Amino acid sequence: MKPMRTVLGAVLALSAVTVSAGCGQGLLGGDSDKDKGPILLGMDIPLSGGSAEIGPYMKNGAQLAIDEVNGKGGVLGGRKLELRAEDDACDPKTATAAATKLVSAGVKVSVGGYCSGATLPTLAIFDRAKIPMIIPVANSTELYAQRLKHVFMINGTGDQQAAAAAKWLAKDGGTKVAVMHDNTSYSKDIAVRTAAELDKPGAPDKTAVEAVNPGESDYSAAVTTVLKGRPDYIYWTGYYAEGGLLVRQFRQAGYKGKFLVGDGSVDAKLAKIAGGQNGEGVYATMTPTPQTLQGAESWIASYKQKFGADPGPYSTQSYDAVRLAAEAIKKADSTDGGKIADALRGLDGFQLFSGPLKFTQQQTITGGFEIQVVKNGSFVLQEKVQ
Amino acid sequence: MSQLIWNGLFVGSFYALVALGYSMVYGVIKLLNFAHGDLYMLGAFSGFAMLGVLGGLVQSQSLLALLLVLVATMAVTGLAGVALERVAYRPLRGAPRLSLLITAVGASFALEYGTRIVAGPNPKVYQVRLGGTSMEVFGARVTVQQLVLVAIAIVLMAALNWLVMRSRQGRAMRAIALDPKAARLMGVDVDAVIARTFFIGSALAGAAGVMAGGYYGKIDFLMGFIIGLKAFTAAVIGGIGNMQGTMLGGLLLGLLESFGTDWLGGQWRDVFAFGCLILFLTVRPTGLLGERVTERV
Repeated sequence: MKPMRTVLGAVLALSAVTVSAGCGQGLLGGDSDKDKGPILLGMDIPLSGGSAEIGPYMKNGAQLAIDEVNGKGGVLGGRKLELRAEDDACDPKTATAAATKLVSAGVKVSVGGYCSGATLPTLAIFDRAKIPMIIPVANSTELYAQRLKHVFMINGTGDQQAAAAAKWLAKDGGTKVAVMHDNTSYSKDIAVRTAAELDKPGAPDKTAVEAVNPGESDYSAAVTTVLKGRPDYIYWTGYYAEGGLLVRQFRQAGYKGKFLVGDGSVDAKLAKIAGGQNGEGVYATMTPTPQTLQGAESWIASYKQKFGADPGPYSTQSYDAVRLAAEAIKKADSTDGGKIADALRGLDGFQLFSGPLKFTQQQTITGGFEIQVVKNGSFVLQEKVQ
Repeated sequence: MSQLIWNGLFVGSFYALVALGYSMVYGVIKLLNFAHGDLYMLGAFSGFAMLGVLGGLVQSQSLLALLLVLVATMAVTGLAGVALERVAYRPLRGAPRLSLLITAVGASFALEYGTRIVAGPNPKVYQVRLGGTSMEVFGARVTVQQLVLVAIAIVLMAALNWLVMRSRQGRAMRAIALDPKAARLMGVDVDAVIARTFFIGSALAGAAGVMAGGYYGKIDFLMGFIIGLKAFTAAVIGGIGNMQGTMLGGLLLGLLESFGTDWLGGQWRDVFAFGCLILFLTVRPTGLLGERVTERV
């Protein structure tokens, strides 16, 4: 799998470099602001690979916002927005090539980014071209650690999720908590931060921080090890496929306590894989989905009418990213990256699905997590975490 | 302790079942069939498709349906293995080893991504689930379904052992393993025997695929990759080409993983298991039972 991607990535990167070298003159020469053509918004999203199902949800959400903005007459005196989506396959090399391609296509704002690992190497590429990034989903703390001026994140971050998890674990009566992750950067980040929260005085005890390898089927060894600490709450921070298997195998091993899972595990398949009643009552730390947002019914209806399918996870965040981009371009009255970034920093109270927006020092949003629970096989809202 | 041993033996019997195919093919034509793990995946998916077709029966008689599907899947993956040999390996039998190895890697990719195109990239959930009641045996928690699966694995392995060691077919396989040219001169139909070897090995992998689907429930198009690697390891530990050695190797790897997780934690499991493997092979390069070179199949 890896070697093929590498070759493909290299070919794409090469061709992209050639293209950008060819266009360099033209871009520097012309004043693109005088253009009356459409303003391109770029979107790096997974359309193939293990996370391929998420890509269309994000793309459709973004397209919905673009159509709305264009329907109201566009921006900057009638210029239309246009979405340019590229497949990053949730793979760093493919993502790098895709980002380079978007830059050379002349996008003004990037509104993509799902997998943190794949988004990370694209930061430098967009930053060098002074293209603001409004990252709708990817939320690893590594993304804002570099403090890049053009990078904005509108999904809750890893430390916010860990804080929400610790709060819920204490509130729901957890006394001995085992934290499990799958060794990927995203999952381990949340697990380590949650473990740190649990070490604080007054928080529930931590019995273990255990890892499993994603892609396997039998986790009985890890299950046996974790159960030796006699936990009454288990927090899984990885993805749903392994999450479902773990829930099932813990129940088979006689575990009677509760489960909490991270946002990567919020998928109805988790309960299906867990089988029977095993998945019922599994809690999750999650950013709001269209289905759990109040007042989103009409939005869901227009999404359904347009794409003939229900919106999925991160449709709303992608929708918000595009609206935010349009707002910033209007405020900046320019397509200049620096001015757009300034406008984004200046926004106060712009209404997103997650609430009114005001970027923090790290250019992330505040709060934004809620607790969901599996009822009749799918995740529904349990309560908001303040 | 007894729980750890049981966990290890249970996983190990899956490894052993898949590893046998590796070992047989290597024994007969000295080819590392890297697509073998993907035949396991193919088995899981064809079982999934058949259960979908059976529909009603699945709900009322789930264990019976699963057994039926198991047998049918063994036929399907067996034939797929034969086709694979015919298309990808036979034309290259006289070619350098390296070309064959690359073809095997290519066949592996073709099977993985072909399945992805047909079945989609998302994991599927089996219609029949073997869950059920558990009981305590020497302090270990054991389910009836686990016992059934291990029993099936043992029966399949015993049947294979009989086939190779006692039947005419098996004698022909062992003859080819010893010296293909001489076997041909003595009137053994080498092509047919090799095709049969592929059939048997692939059928076992397919059986393991259906069993994994029914027990764990989740299948996806890359599921064969890791288990293929583990099975290959198990075959090498046991002495690749040697039947009993391969079975032992599978069980040993399962136990190493189980105890490694317990002693060092999940992060270190593979480091521990494969570290042991390296140490072991430096001391005993032929594997556990690898010394019987004269009886390789």
